[in-house]
Amino acid sequence: MHFGVRYGLLLVAGLALGTGAAVVQLRQSFAALGIENGPWRTAAKVGTKDASVATRATVALRGLLALPEREAIYFNASSDSQGRKLTGKCSYLVSGGALDARWWSLTLYDAKGYLIPNRASVYSLGSAALAPEEASNWQVDIARTRRGTHWIAMPDDQPFELTLRAYHPSPKLLAARGSVTLPRIERRECRT
Amino acid sequence: MSRWIGPLIVAVLAALAAWYTTLAAAPMVIMDRAWEQLAAQSGFNRMAHGPLVTAESQFVVRPSPDLAYSVCAFDLTQGPLRVHAHPVPGHYWSLTVFDSETNVAFVESDRDSKGAPVEVILATADQTVPAGVRKVTMPGAKGVALLRVLLNDRAEFDAVTKDRKRSYCRPLRQP
Repeated sequence: MHFGVRYGLLLVAGLALGTGAAVVQLRQSFAALGIENGPWRTAAKVGTKDASVATRATVALRGLLALPEREAIYFNASSDSQGRKLTGKCSYLVSGGALDARWWSLTLYDAKGYLIPNRASVYSLGSAALAPEEASNWQVDIARTRRGTHWIAMPDDQPFELTLRAYHPSPKLLAARGSVTLPRIERRECRT
Repeated sequence: MSRWIGPLIVAVLAALAAWYTTLAAAPMVIMDRAWEQLAAQSGFNRMAHGPLVTAESQFVVRPSPDLAYSVCAFDLTQGPLRVHAHPVPGHYWSLTVFDSETNVAFVESDRDSKGAPVEVILATADQTVPAGVRKVTMPGAKGVALLRVLLNDRAEFDAVTKDRKRSYCRPLRQP
């Protein structure tokens, strides 16, 4: 094969491979956010040029117009606490305690980051909805139909993601975002 | 085989360069597309007070159903823009200004303003603004200003909207 053709072919292959790898990396997971805490992934320096290119790209694709961390931090999960992918074929119990922030919310999205239509229009749970005695020990069901006191609707079998927002996080929470205790995501029964 | 070593090195370097370039360009490309969509829906240099967020009403990826959003896609080509965020008492609210690469050029919330309105003038570096105003220098002409208001309960959306409709963005010098 001619010298120039070899270089040309592999140059094109390399460009395609690199571009494809970046697209797959962005679409498949939150791993590019960089900070791991159980099933949750979060990032540092969101909304600034100091964030890594992978973080900036991931936030643009999966959380465009996100607030910088002095206002809010975002924890995202696409798997349960045992590392299994979140799926509408199963129901889940999410349980947690107080977060060191002004308020928080937990929202369910499809794998592309959009709310999923459901008859009850129930997409999230916010700390404002908790009774004072629940603040340090709360639970929410993720299932097709309402069960306990708090419920987020998951109306079909598709994969889904959870986003936990903590607004006005304390300096302590910001510093310990990779190690602080975050809500557990436990899988319950599944349909076959 | 040795004839392939050089091309293979080129392929690896090209792959790394393409990977990095794709990631680096993504924010600008995605923001540009979002800006065009927002401007097509609501125009630009004006604040659009969005409806209650539902699965049928999502203006951006990963919207929070616990927030009421007002959004202003802006273009400073014709001159600076005044952005005014009116307080919503008893609620978290914030004004964020994003540049065309998704960087935050300005953010303030009710905690910063202690409940008072927040008003800034967005302008590029070469544009002059009156003395005494809060100028936010934007690196380029285009961007998005976003007002968020927390709904303690989604049922209070209409009441909150009365206040947030007093927020606006408009050219500093009206034609």
